[in-house]
Amino acid sequence: MEGGSARTVLPFLAPALAVVFAVLIFPALYSLYASFFDWPLNDASAREFVGLGNYLKLFQDPEFWNSLKLQLGFIVIALPIELVLGFGAALLLNREFPGAGVVRTLILLPVFMLPVLSGFTWRYMLQPDYGPINWIIGALGGKQVLWLNSPTLAYTAVIMQDVWRMWPFMFMLLYAGLTTIPAEMYEAAEIDGASWGQRLRLITLPMLKPTIVTALLLRLIDALRIFSEVFTMTEGGPGSSTLLFSLYTHRQAFSFFKVGLASAMSIFLLIVSVAIAVLIVRKNMRLEEMEKGADS
Amino acid sequence: MRRKRPLLNWAIAAGAFLVLAIELFPIFITIASGFRRDLDILSAGPFSLKFNLRSWYLVLFKNSEYLGYVWNSVQVAFLSTAISLVTGSMAAYGISRFRFRGRDTLAYSFLVFRMLPQISLVVAMYMMFQAIGARDTIWGLTLAHSSFNVPYVIWMVLPFFSQIDRSYEEAALVDGCSRFQTFRRVFLPLAGPGLVVAAVFAFIMSWNEFLYALILTSTQAKTAPLHVAGFIAADGLKWGQLYAAGTVLLLPVFIFTVTMQKFIVRGITAGGVKG
Repeated sequence: MEGGSARTVLPFLAPALAVVFAVLIFPALYSLYASFFDWPLNDASAREFVGLGNYLKLFQDPEFWNSLKLQLGFIVIALPIELVLGFGAALLLNREFPGAGVVRTLILLPVFMLPVLSGFTWRYMLQPDYGPINWIIGALGGKQVLWLNSPTLAYTAVIMQDVWRMWPFMFMLLYAGLTTIPAEMYEAAEIDGASWGQRLRLITLPMLKPTIVTALLLRLIDALRIFSEVFTMTEGGPGSSTLLFSLYTHRQAFSFFKVGLASAMSIFLLIVSVAIAVLIVRKNMRLEEMEKGADS
Repeated sequence: MRRKRPLLNWAIAAGAFLVLAIELFPIFITIASGFRRDLDILSAGPFSLKFNLRSWYLVLFKNSEYLGYVWNSVQVAFLSTAISLVTGSMAAYGISRFRFRGRDTLAYSFLVFRMLPQISLVVAMYMMFQAIGARDTIWGLTLAHSSFNVPYVIWMVLPFFSQIDRSYEEAALVDGCSRFQTFRRVFLPLAGPGLVVAAVFAFIMSWNEFLYALILTSTQAKTAPLHVAGFIAADGLKWGQLYAAGTVLLLPVFIFTVTMQKFIVRGITAGGVKG
């Protein structure tokens, strides 16, 4: 049973490998290939080999740097807020209170909501006059805020949408992490007279660190490729004020029809993502643990 | 565990439900808006109590093409779940039961594959699909969705698989069953619960997916999320219809969140939550 030569296992692996090759590996290689060409969409015959020209062009394109800056800003602002909110909620709710199960379940609804709907929900919430948020502001006697018409406010709104949607994700992972810390550790600390702050600093945080790192890295992977929510919420606008990396890639390919440049961007993001994914896998996921973890 | 402080617990409960109410408010307001007419939403404000079924009627009966797109979504989600479940469970069985060279690397590669950004693949897929006539077809989009679901299923079922007692398979092999017969007749029935969980997760990933559908389909294989997006933009602001149609799509998501709670943490550590 344990042994098994390559010949006996191959039939089991082959179908999955075939699918993965057809729709993952091959497209990735094809992107790499296309990134060396000046390639108009839908007219492969007009393509022209330019070597690394697309990459050089990208690095001279202010819009590329802008999208990179927006993307990084989005990550740097949204993720810490999500972490703090999720961590705070996990600390508070890590006890049995009436209705705990209901809260812990339903709070996850936004996480699994269709990204398209989540984007449109916020677009609607932020509309002038009839949008709920402006309606409340108006009812309180405040002035209308044209959220999606101002570059800064639209960018803020995109981040708000993500925080709203994803802090429960942090909560869920951190709460799961908290429940694995043995209660005896806290009891012993309490007997020794440790204050709440000390227990947090000396027990909770060190014990939870691996979970926090995993949660942040998983969010990072997701945040890097965010598309649908922003696309439906702002379409990258106004102007290019919310044109995050994947939205700019999409625009290059399907508005400007520049497949070569879009492919160069694709490869750039692919390399960054693979690097982070390998880091996640190396640091935080051992095959043996995943195999054991059916009940966790 | 700790001293019982009932008052504190009730205060926490009150706070928790308040947070939950605020968090779910946007979802609540959109579902409620599905029960208003497009016109009322624009004129009567978001909190008016003028409810009716006009938007639902328009979406489900008057312009019934929406149901066709829902059907497309259902087909793609079922087919890609089926493909992923069959190929993924076979591969996971291979990884779980055989010790071959490169086993760990292969397993980890699938995990990395799950985390690749779709935008990096979709431009190439568009051209490939265009070239072989797979664009705007159900099976084309199904294949595209399998790109994230196959690796996902593998990692979802692995923990379940490794817990299954090997003695049944060993007995079957001794009795002269082939490897594949053993897998299909002896192993898979034992793996039922894991397969169901993986299937539900794969289904939701496909159901929620937008980018591949946006690029790889246009009219024939268009999925429901794509059609929903069309209520805003070209032909005016049909918020009521958007939310009536959106509520239909939310239903499986709601059922998923409530029933799969126990497995959600593992589900998301197996590679993110979004397609």
